[in-house]
Amino acid sequence: MSYQNYVIAAYAVFFVVLAWDFVAPRIGIARELRAAKLRAARKQARTAPDGSNELSRQTAE
Amino acid sequence: MHPLVRWFHQLGSPPYFDRFAARWAPVSYVLALVVMAYGLWAALFQVPADYQQGDSFRILYIHVPSAWMSLFVFGLMAFYAAIALIWRIKLCEILAMACAAPGAAFTLITLATGSIWGKPMWGTWWDWDPRLTTELILLFLYFGVIGLYNAIEDRRAAARAAGLLAIVGVALLPVIRYSVVWWNSLHQGQTISLMGGSKMDDSMLPPLFAMIVATKLWFIGSLLARARADNLRREAGKDWVLRLSQGTPSQGRQSKDTLTQVKDRAP
Repeated sequence: MSYQNYVIAAYAVFFVVLAWDFVAPRIGIARELRAAKLRAARKQARTAPDGSNELSRQTAE
Repeated sequence: MHPLVRWFHQLGSPPYFDRFAARWAPVSYVLALVVMAYGLWAALFQVPADYQQGDSFRILYIHVPSAWMSLFVFGLMAFYAAIALIWRIKLCEILAMACAAPGAAFTLITLATGSIWGKPMWGTWWDWDPRLTTELILLFLYFGVIGLYNAIEDRRAAARAAGLLAIVGVALLPVIRYSVVWWNSLHQGQTISLMGGSKMDDSMLPPLFAMIVATKLWFIGSLLARARADNLRREAGKDWVLRLSQGTPSQGRQSKDTLTQVKDRAP
């Protein structure tokens, strides 16, 4: 094949850019879902009925 | 209500759109890969070498579809942005902004592959030719839309500002298209015509059409995936996102969700 290196370089650019285009939104979706999960965990900890999330405080008698 | 109209209204609901995009983006990617596999195989191994350019002409099978996509996606982005600005439809804001990154990706591929082809054929990596220069400006416009959208904290204000830039930028598209006609250009003129009369031999055309279809399908997958990510970002804190993050997607909420899209349209 003539100009083989140029053809390989062009197709490599094509695949690298499309691979980034495929991966980038997946990272964004995973990040948003992880953030939602953490937000829910924090909310649940705040509203725990037994108050177990409260910092313990020792008071002098 | 007509089922198509009802579906369109349902699509405006964020949870419904999330389910739609999650379902159809992978399908679109798979179809794109299947068509692309045929197109690339035929482009690299089936089609004979050009009598003047040798095998370097095989670069056009990724260069030309990407160049067409770079223009098509910008036009589509401006179309969505115009709808979003006029009717304040949130989904159109999301779709307009989701067009920017894949559009920039296709423009980058166009410039890079054109440059790689230009070195052996023109003897230079770059020339300030009207077609090349206007395509480079298009890439900067894409970057401008992406940058503006991420620079403003309020999502809706950001989408409106970036959408306005996209609408103004549409004026560049005919300049790119006719740059080889209006000015004395190093870049070749129109070679391929969908309406017939192509200057390429017929044996060289099928892989090109396959790649044109493949890049369109790829773009649909990318658009849906990116719109889904932005939709989740905007809806962060809502119950349906929380349920989705815990692996229990919302079900049977279509009627209520359909009503919420009316609120989304409010200015």
